[in-house]
Amino acid sequence: MKIIKKILILGIGNDILTDDGIGPRLVRDLAQMNINPNFGFDVAGCGGLEIMEHIKGYDKVIFIDAIRTRTGKPGAVYYFIPSDFRETSHLSNLHDLNFLTSLKLGEILELGLPSDLHIIAVEILEDMVFGEELTFPLKNEYPRILRKVVSLIKKIAEK
Amino acid sequence: MKRITIDPITRLEGHGKIEIFLNDEGEVNNVYFQVPELRGFEKFCEGRPVEELPAIVAKICGVCPGCHHMASGKAVDAVFGVNPPPTAKKLRELFYMAHFVHSHTAHFYALAAPDFVVGPYAPPTKRNILGVIEKVGKEIGTEVIKQRRLAQEIQALLGGHQTFVVMNIPGGVRRGLSETERDDIADKAKGFVEFAKFTLKIFEDVVLKNKEYVDLILNGPYSLKLHSMGLVDASNKVNFYDGKVRVVDTEGKELCKYSPPEYLDYVAEHVEPWTYLKFPFLKKIGWKGFIEGQNSGVYHATPLSRLNAADGMATPLAQKEYERMYTTLGGKPVHATLAMHWARLVELLYSAERCLELAMDPEITGRELRAQLGPIPGEGVGIVEAQRGTLTHHYWTDEKGIVKKVNIIVGTTNNHAAICMSIKKAAEGFIKKGVEVTDGILNLIEMSFRAYDPCFSCATHCFPGQMPMILEIREPNGELIQRLIRN
Repeated sequence: MKIIKKILILGIGNDILTDDGIGPRLVRDLAQMNINPNFGFDVAGCGGLEIMEHIKGYDKVIFIDAIRTRTGKPGAVYYFIPSDFRETSHLSNLHDLNFLTSLKLGEILELGLPSDLHIIAVEILEDMVFGEELTFPLKNEYPRILRKVVSLIKKIAEK
Repeated sequence: MKRITIDPITRLEGHGKIEIFLNDEGEVNNVYFQVPELRGFEKFCEGRPVEELPAIVAKICGVCPGCHHMASGKAVDAVFGVNPPPTAKKLRELFYMAHFVHSHTAHFYALAAPDFVVGPYAPPTKRNILGVIEKVGKEIGTEVIKQRRLAQEIQALLGGHQTFVVMNIPGGVRRGLSETERDDIADKAKGFVEFAKFTLKIFEDVVLKNKEYVDLILNGPYSLKLHSMGLVDASNKVNFYDGKVRVVDTEGKELCKYSPPEYLDYVAEHVEPWTYLKFPFLKKIGWKGFIEGQNSGVYHATPLSRLNAADGMATPLAQKEYERMYTTLGGKPVHATLAMHWARLVELLYSAERCLELAMDPEITGRELRAQLGPIPGEGVGIVEAQRGTLTHHYWTDEKGIVKKVNIIVGTTNNHAAICMSIKKAAEGFIKKGVEVTDGILNLIEMSFRAYDPCFSCATHCFPGQMPMILEIREPNGELIQRLIRN
């Protein structure tokens, strides 16, 4: 019998901080698309201990977060896993613990956190100004970003 | 002149930079503490119905969303000229006590304990919560996570969401509490009380029974003689949700006591050209610069200042611990910055006890959840104690309740001058001519402001951050001679 995995798509960010809200925005749109009945959708504001509570009980988690790199083009979509971890906006910008420390903590305390973790990060332009709208490059590129994220999620889900 | 740059700061909410300028003798000349600022919050609020603000402000800080939500809810009540009915008030306070339990727990075990349990000179790879668990055992770590989660569950139940809170509506709250839910919260609160007592026992065993630590707290370069601010009830007991703001001077005498709408008569903000963040001071004394003592206009608003400013705690166990703290530390007021950790744990116990009291209150399951709204006065101030200090929200609206202007004095902002002074004092105490600035010394300097549990996320209207630390030591000509990178 095929075991059905519970998969969480977790958007991280602040949706009143311009491009910082790209993760939650994508998750809200993904939730409307009926991609896979086994997907759960959620949004969170920050990482660390908070994230642990969101991901507990799932088999696989796909984080969608914002990222700012030195040379990246706004709208570029990246994929990585914790072992080749790069800092995204919220998995490293946390209230109390960073994401990797939290994972380690969960492991030591045997909290039953999933180990099958994936990160999709979108290069952003602005996250220092309050606003509900994305900046022009991301707004303009949004349909392509969404398609790319859907494609990545489907591939990750099959792994 | 040599220049040391710490940028950004570890285990501190929001990201910031400390620059320590040394003179040619290798001693501290000056210290600047800077934080980047997010822009446009006031503009973002203008033109919106004021009743939207409690939900919006919960998003300006991922660290203390519940505090902003509460201060905002109270300011909105004032804008509409209403007082929530007793049940609604108690439900708000119940939520708020759970918020304090979860926040103070996280601060002690994740941010403060590593310095004491693992040790201030331990390598950064060990000086974190994982190192704490290695020392104290997995069972305690599991309990910390559990109690924090239970407090979050209470907030999620009453607040609609544990982070993006939507509890308060003008004149009341959006939902009540069933008897079953109340019983569940009471059970959790009983656990909080035991957990707070246990945490104080850890503090006693690890810190108070260690002569080196007690000496560091009382005699190290961590003492700062400032006035103390805190919200008090009608009996001058500590209160986080409601009451008047009381300020006592460096000798413990009352300087002033004011209601929320009067805050502008008592507090003003000084501006320095090198930082976006302002420096609140006591108007009665005036801004006299970054000086400590009776003639200074600088105050602090912290767990320790709240205890200094009050005549006691409103719950029995916390009161006992309050008395023990002052007896041990030589009477009121206490000016030892690191004693904030003890004061925070006294508050943890108070929050737990008050949470239980409120859960057992017959009125908590009442059905009258909202007051009738009247004409709109168009201006309102709400003040609560955030974990990090007195939090003030002030809104101005038109006659339809549309926001025209917003002013917020965040908990950490109250402490901006005090934090700068504490860092300088610690730096002066530990950086000496001919002494290599090691990671351990850096951490001892960091401890001076970590005690404040500062959150620059909302102080600068910025989202929380935790980033690596870089220390650079430069020759007077700017040439880099030493660089330390952490994390």
